[in-house]
Amino acid sequence: MRILRRLCLVAPMLALAALPARAEERLVIAGRDAAFGDALSRMVEAYQARNPGLRIERLELPGGALYERIAVNARERTKALDVLMLDDIWAPEFMANGWLANLDTLGGVPGDFVGPADAVSRGANGQRLAAPMVGNVAMFAYRADLFRAAGLPAPTTFTAVAAAARTLRERDPGITPIAFRGVRGNPIVTGFMPVLGAFGGAVVDAQGRAALDSPAALAALEYFLSLKPYLPRGVETWNATEVREAMEQGRVAIALEFWPGWAGTLDDAARSRVVGQVTLVAPPGERSGPAPMLGAWLLGVAADSPNAARAADFIRFVVSAENQKRIALETGNPPTLAALYNDPELVQRFRWYPAQLAALQAAQPRPRITQWNRVEAILGEQLQIALVGQATPAEALREANRQIQRALAR
Amino acid sequence: MRASTRLLVVLLAPSLVLFALLTLYPLLRVLLLAFTDSDYGFEGADFVGLANFAELAEGRGFRRAAWNTVAFAVMATVGEVVLGLALALLLDRAFRGRRLVTLVLLAPYVLSTIVVGAIWRAWFHYDVGFLNTALRGVGLPGVPWLFDPVLALPSIALADLWQATPFCFLILYAGLRSIPPDLHEAARIDGAGTWARFRDITLPLLWPYILIAGLMRTLDSFKLFDKVYAMTGGGPGNATETLSMFVQRLAFRFFDIGMASAAALVMVVVAGGLAAIYARQLMRPPA
Repeated sequence: MRILRRLCLVAPMLALAALPARAEERLVIAGRDAAFGDALSRMVEAYQARNPGLRIERLELPGGALYERIAVNARERTKALDVLMLDDIWAPEFMANGWLANLDTLGGVPGDFVGPADAVSRGANGQRLAAPMVGNVAMFAYRADLFRAAGLPAPTTFTAVAAAARTLRERDPGITPIAFRGVRGNPIVTGFMPVLGAFGGAVVDAQGRAALDSPAALAALEYFLSLKPYLPRGVETWNATEVREAMEQGRVAIALEFWPGWAGTLDDAARSRVVGQVTLVAPPGERSGPAPMLGAWLLGVAADSPNAARAADFIRFVVSAENQKRIALETGNPPTLAALYNDPELVQRFRWYPAQLAALQAAQPRPRITQWNRVEAILGEQLQIALVGQATPAEALREANRQIQRALAR
Repeated sequence: MRASTRLLVVLLAPSLVLFALLTLYPLLRVLLLAFTDSDYGFEGADFVGLANFAELAEGRGFRRAAWNTVAFAVMATVGEVVLGLALALLLDRAFRGRRLVTLVLLAPYVLSTIVVGAIWRAWFHYDVGFLNTALRGVGLPGVPWLFDPVLALPSIALADLWQATPFCFLILYAGLRSIPPDLHEAARIDGAGTWARFRDITLPLLWPYILIAGLMRTLDSFKLFDKVYAMTGGGPGNATETLSMFVQRLAFRFFDIGMASAAALVMVVVAGGLAAIYARQLMRPPA
């Protein structure tokens, strides 16, 4: 009887304790590290300040690890992530597999985004499945002061770039004429893509077949490798940090591939020795016009997100004009709203914005295929094999083409 | 069932259940997936027989990764065991500052592999790295440690040598300390020289310890991933791509789980074979 009485007393207390606590609103954001991550983290802080009751968790990862994490989560349908930051090359796979929520049904995302960045954020039927956060486009950077001193005109073709490199080397053997990211995989591929496009080549043709075993691609690769005498030693290990620092410190005269996201400190006297001396333009052309490569970063809501409405609200917050401008000013990351490229304050700070907008509007996204990750890895490996001399350009392209064809057939 | 057997089963059961869950189940899953064309699990996977293995054998990438893995395992294991043995013999003698030397020697072993990779990547830097700065300081040219296709893998092995030799040293030093000093004393009285004592007493008695150190380092080297990831990412070209990197890329970058499982299965078989050879040597009754 005593036990029963005690149970009667304890039971209501246990029942109360077992009641679920008021669900705390959470938002889990998976995004990049480094400069893009810095921009996202600032937005997280600002959004958190506006929504003090919200608990935000932030995953900050390098590109490759981020892809693995969000792709595994999507496949496992873990419901663990809400907001996903995506490279535009991952978007086709995520969209085709239904891993992104339709933002149109979550209140939409208003904004006049630059054409190509907007296009890669939409699904096959034009529905908005993501919103562009970073409007990166591969630019071409050169030291205008050195070109002027050598009597060289602004290079408009890749042939002129090679000729300029030769002249600059002869004038000053202490300066490295050209640099690009030579690390295998995505870095070396993004350095090569504008050259390939300018020589009229393509990785995948309009019918979705591998197209690297072509005279145009061979000419592009032969040109790319002909630059080796003008490259820094160890370019095979150069990534974004090395190219950016070498340009800032005045050790390199030309960067074949220079992302606007790296340019934020070029004119900062505290960091740069070449303030006002570097010109950023769209990459040169050759047999066809310039082929600047789009490198946008997008924000999407995971299709299995338990907090989809809140996630969409966060995305609207980040890509709003006010915050895009703030991101540009504070971190140098390029905006995706067209109007901001004419904003006087931004243009004063980033003098290359008009040229960047032109490049962005003409930008070519990488092939919109779900297997791009694999295709890029294959090409990146073969390009480096050719760069270190383990295969001739023709052999490397034939092998890349063979492997890519197999990957596309899967 | 006898009471003693029942007790044995009860005592072993928790370990066996864990072993089945954590080792046998994943192994069985990999075994089955290796014969499928799968982009993640069994859902939507097609049975393809031996096609994945045929493609692996045909592809240059796998053959190169396998060769790199074996070359690295041989370089690293032999180097670490020999150097570990030399250090153990050196520190087995009494001298001033022995404790301090031992402590300094063990330091690299306590660092995480990614940290070791970052340290050596900085040391190997062509322009500003410590090694090339030292070489230039004595009038020698810089060495392209990490971007020469021939040098890159031995360079990573050098970093591994720095980190893992203390492990071999510890095992072999423990082995040396277990040899009764009387044996050496008796041999010395009988007129045996240093080399004869090493060859006829130290080496035979230390042999099981050498095998254990060799086995553990071989298996560890065979799984090499993080150091390559941190130092070269598998490049230049595919000069430092190892089987672990190859499998990881297939599985989690390309989601080609069938092929990744086939490659992983080959790794398991080779590693199992190596372990069996060592185990046979270890368990051989003394002659």
